[in-house]
Amino acid sequence: MKKNNRDESITVKSELYVKVEDNNFLLNFLPVFSVLFGLLLSGLMMLLLGHNPLIVYSNMLNYAFRDIYNIADIFAKATPLILTGLAFGFAFRASLFNIGAQGQFYIGAVLAVGFALKLSSFPMVLVLFICFTMSLVGGSLWAAFIGYVKARFNANEFLVSMMLTYVAIAVMNFLLGGLLKETKGEYPQTDVIPESGWLPSLIPHTRLHWGFVLALLVALIAYLILWKTSLGYKIRMVGFNRDAARYAGINVEKIFVIVFFISGAFAGIAGFTEVNGMQHMLIEHFNPLIGAEGIGIAILGGAHPLGIVLSAFLFGALKVGGNLVVQTSRIPASIIGITEGLVILSVIFSYFIRDKLIILRSKKKLVSKERKRL
Amino acid sequence: MKDNSDFITLKNITKYFPGTIANDHINFTLGRGEVLALFGENGAGKTTLMSILYGLYQPDEGEIFIEGKRVKIRSPHDAMKYGVGMIHQHFTLVPVHTVVENIILGTESAYLSNINIKKRVKKIKEIGKKYGLEVDPFAFVGQLPVGMQQRVEIIKALYRNAQILIMDEPTSVLTSQETEKLFHFIHDFKAKGHSVIFISHKLNEVMEIADRINVLRDGKIVGDVSRNEATESQLTKMMIGRDLMIPERNSTIFTNHKEMLKIENLTIVGDRKSKAVDDLSFNIKEGEIFGIAGVSGNGQEELAQAICGLRKVKSGHIILSDKEITNKNALSIIQQGVGYIPADRHKEGLVLDMSIEENLFLKNHSDSSFINYGFLNQNKIQQKAKTLMKNFEIKATSPTSKAMTLSGGNQQKVAVAREVNIGSKVLVAVQPTRGLDLGAIDYVHKTLLKEKKEGKAILLISTEFSEIMGLSDRIGVIYRGKLLKIISREDAKVDEIGLLMAGITEGQANEKK
Repeated sequence: MKKNNRDESITVKSELYVKVEDNNFLLNFLPVFSVLFGLLLSGLMMLLLGHNPLIVYSNMLNYAFRDIYNIADIFAKATPLILTGLAFGFAFRASLFNIGAQGQFYIGAVLAVGFALKLSSFPMVLVLFICFTMSLVGGSLWAAFIGYVKARFNANEFLVSMMLTYVAIAVMNFLLGGLLKETKGEYPQTDVIPESGWLPSLIPHTRLHWGFVLALLVALIAYLILWKTSLGYKIRMVGFNRDAARYAGINVEKIFVIVFFISGAFAGIAGFTEVNGMQHMLIEHFNPLIGAEGIGIAILGGAHPLGIVLSAFLFGALKVGGNLVVQTSRIPASIIGITEGLVILSVIFSYFIRDKLIILRSKKKLVSKERKRL
Repeated sequence: MKDNSDFITLKNITKYFPGTIANDHINFTLGRGEVLALFGENGAGKTTLMSILYGLYQPDEGEIFIEGKRVKIRSPHDAMKYGVGMIHQHFTLVPVHTVVENIILGTESAYLSNINIKKRVKKIKEIGKKYGLEVDPFAFVGQLPVGMQQRVEIIKALYRNAQILIMDEPTSVLTSQETEKLFHFIHDFKAKGHSVIFISHKLNEVMEIADRINVLRDGKIVGDVSRNEATESQLTKMMIGRDLMIPERNSTIFTNHKEMLKIENLTIVGDRKSKAVDDLSFNIKEGEIFGIAGVSGNGQEELAQAICGLRKVKSGHIILSDKEITNKNALSIIQQGVGYIPADRHKEGLVLDMSIEENLFLKNHSDSSFINYGFLNQNKIQQKAKTLMKNFEIKATSPTSKAMTLSGGNQQKVAVAREVNIGSKVLVAVQPTRGLDLGAIDYVHKTLLKEKKEGKAILLISTEFSEIMGLSDRIGVIYRGKLLKIISREDAKVDEIGLLMAGITEGQANEKK
């Protein structure tokens, strides 16, 4: 019997356990390459539509960075995306899927607009504080329910969070048709909220408001929770290895609820920044893609707060530049959505390729090691 | 009996999984009309090998010959073409479909035209009559008892004209009567000139049913013996493997020591709703190593999990130095000083994506001395990691490198270091040296002996026979959730324990003679 091969005959069989000590330049910059690849693909789509993608993209860049107003708008557009991106990314760190940020966002928005309308006589600081708190708590509780049914009944959080979005839309539409309906009573929308409920602008004569700073702060808080607190340590442990977490005495079910509570808070705050900072009212079919885009942004940003912030900037720029290109040329508006989609798809695909590469490499290494031994 | 020409030949079959070799240049042959048992521990590579033969995996090296012709088996469909059928440990049936629907699933080429169910049912009934496998073709599979479901699986393979049946641990879900019926079928099937590959880690079944026995260990075939020449102790030895060097130890007198852990009439219901641990009692004193010997799957894991608060106890008591800890939660048991080195360090003992530092801290997540207002005291965590890494000679490039970058031995040292640190009173070690190299094994053994000296009560659960013999002060042999006998080390005989592990008590052994 050979006795020296013991260390190789570990009982693991899962492909998850692959050594990734050798970091490769190419692997690290894969997200950047894949963003470029996504832009290339949508460039091909533009070619099919009879437009020169080089001109389209250069116009997009020019428009996006034309003046301070447009540049500020990039960050204003990025603000809610940072928050919904964090909502998905935070839960993802615990290997949980909160794809219902849209619904939590709506609940936050409804509460923010409701309190801003009713508290018109209060001082601004108080109104903003109450709107902020209510949208946060509303989003949290809405999402905590998902965590609860997951913990209690082992319900599929994917499904529950998605379905709850439809419930939230129905609740919002119901209120817009009644309790919150504008005084004119014409459309399913609210009155404009009094200025005491407006988030002050960050740069004068632009649409950028203090909600942007708030979003950056929330990203920082998300980072601190995940990597500096004992709660975050537990959350990440549950995310990486639920069994080991249970063996370490962690109440995994409780973590589910907490994670959804926090994740929902982030999405709820997005409702506050959009209502009090941007639209100053609530309209039916308001920002219907903000949750879905948040998922894409979280994936693009590797579920890391910093990556999420940067990805949200990219999407903000695509939106601002894209909108103006669409308005000034004959390119269909859907091309922006297609570009966003292709960028996200190529990033997801790049993760797949990266994993395959790593597995292939570790396998090669093992085979050659084994050959040497024989 | 065995035909002169070999029916199936596997040559140099090798299968790598990332980080491990599941099958290492395996050669074996199967004759017509032969029942071949693949015998070995969990994780020895039995199922992987058979999955290769059944086309579920592709071998990285090696060749398969059927009736002397080299073949490529790319999918189960290919395998069935060559007459190979497999009965999986976990059935591959659709519970909401009827028996006949399950059996014909995937064999019909019709898309739009009606399937002539009557004709199919007739064939199923014929098979049933031929082999004594009667079953109601219109019953819903989900409503059938497990033994019947297995029968459906077998008919499914026979319906596809299987001449070789691979059975993966077929008896693990069966009652003893059902097992008897299954063995009856295997005899019939063999008598008709067909072959069976019987995968099992249960010695007595292998001895009963097989014509020839191949023993697998660590992905290699370590023994090929015919039933008539095989003895139980020889097979056990082959399965268990190498002789261990056990470090020198002082014989300790612990009769005066006080009881640290006491298990009283413990009964645990397992995942299969049957009793995994059955009215089991023992105690461990301070400074004592109590070893539990047994073939894996006899309730060892459940027992360890129950002590550590990871599994609910149905009845009985677990008492930790006069304090009842039965059905307490895992965290409170950790905080009362019970360390647990689980069998599967990758799944249960470590978080491979986290750093060594974080892994050493794994069970202190709620320890207030490391936390200020919810924030982790990183300095203190690093300090603790440094000390433990130094004391336990954990070799790593940095405390912040991920646990997955460590070698198997160093990974286990991380788990051992942490549990020794946590377990101030009791240490539960399950298969603590599985898959380690000799140096690391030696280290783990020395550590356990050192902790014994410190006065800890240690429960050592292992299928490594020599490990149990070398380290334990007393040995309990577990079989089907019961401790058949508790023997002190001085009185322990290898033969006796080997037989007990197969469920054969002294009385029965004498009867046989």
